[in-house]
Amino acid sequence: MTGMKNRFVLTYVLLVIAQMLLCNYFHFTPYIMLTILPIMVFCIPTRVSVFWTLIIAFVTGLAVDYFAEGIIGLNAAALLPVAILRRTLIEAIFGPEPFEQEENITVKKYGLAKVSLAIFIITAIFLLIYNIADCAGTRPFIFILAKVCLSLLASYILSLLAINLLSYDDRR
Amino acid sequence: MPKERSVVSRIFSIAIFILLEVASLVMLSNNNRFQRLWFARISHGVMAKTWGTSQSIHGYFSLRKQNDELALENNRLQSLVRSYQLAAHESDPMFRPEMADNGFRYIPATIIKSSSNSQHNYLILDKGSDDGVVQNCGIITPDGVIGIVDAVSKHYCYAISFMNTEVNISARIDSSGAVGPLAWDGISTSGAVLKEIPLQYKYNPGDTVYTSGYSAIFPPDIPIGIAGDARVINGATNEIKVKLFQDHSALKYVTIIQNTRAAEIAEIESRNEQ
Repeated sequence: MTGMKNRFVLTYVLLVIAQMLLCNYFHFTPYIMLTILPIMVFCIPTRVSVFWTLIIAFVTGLAVDYFAEGIIGLNAAALLPVAILRRTLIEAIFGPEPFEQEENITVKKYGLAKVSLAIFIITAIFLLIYNIADCAGTRPFIFILAKVCLSLLASYILSLLAINLLSYDDRR
Repeated sequence: MPKERSVVSRIFSIAIFILLEVASLVMLSNNNRFQRLWFARISHGVMAKTWGTSQSIHGYFSLRKQNDELALENNRLQSLVRSYQLAAHESDPMFRPEMADNGFRYIPATIIKSSSNSQHNYLILDKGSDDGVVQNCGIITPDGVIGIVDAVSKHYCYAISFMNTEVNISARIDSSGAVGPLAWDGISTSGAVLKEIPLQYKYNPGDTVYTSGYSAIFPPDIPIGIAGDARVINGATNEIKVKLFQDHSALKYVTIIQNTRAAEIAEIESRNEQ
């Protein structure tokens, strides 16, 4: 159990670093931002309480803000709603089972369709808040919408990869 | 049930979320100029909206007071207009000083209860004998005749509404001067019928109908409504439809008219009847 926990923590930290690299070096166009932060928060083990999920999300967001993008508070502000809605979303999409049996969300167990739906919803929430706060009323809403849609599609592939790495239970 | 699902746990989680979210937004605002300006604009917008709403609510609840003040002001201005009208008569060579007093006293009042859905409607006003109201006082608004006081207590009076099939008031058509009893049509809150107009009196639809002043209750020349279509009754008189200026379904503030010479008129009337 401790080994699995350590492995999750290590993977999580490595993915945070990967996100920092993505933020710093992968700027192809202003219309696309790549993010795996929402799915990382989503994949925090279900036995972790909402309180600790919020704390982890806050610290993760601040770390990325501080070390990568320079807009302190932006990722944290966008990630916290994902953390608070995580349980509701999991129960709505996957049912009460993940919490009752304290098991992680995996593509293998729940299928690509349900996992994709979850990725789309939580990433859309994150991107919408992030981009609205980032643009701060200086860009038209159509630009924000276009950026959210394109980023959503681009981040989806990375999120699938991240969910596979974080859901280690499946690979025991 | 898992402990996390308890209500206290949920409230705690939401409180932590709000705390952390506010902390994030404060950091975002403090460290970035664009975001600071954006938040300032949003907060100013919210404050303006909140103040506007609170002002609207405050304004709504102070409407009653404002209406009372307006009713008093209206009454004062009406008295002023009447005094100017009388003063204008002074240029008439036939004018005598005693004519300046037309014998009517005006008391502003508020309707505190009324009925409007029967054939015998009534009103209760917030003025009584303490305010100088007596039986058979008239009740008017700037747009017409409302009713007649029937009974008076110390602080209130009971009036028969014009929307009562038993009430007739003496009315005159402006163009022809023809006078007849005006009564509610019993159907609409703004409809009446002017009866017993002799056929020889010509009028045009659209003529204004006024109080005639031939009763001791209402002074002359209060505009009541607009004459409409007519029909001949028994081949002898016209019955003219009147569209009232005052919609009786939307009434709150009225003026009670007391004829200070009503007793004198009644006395001379009864003496001659004997």
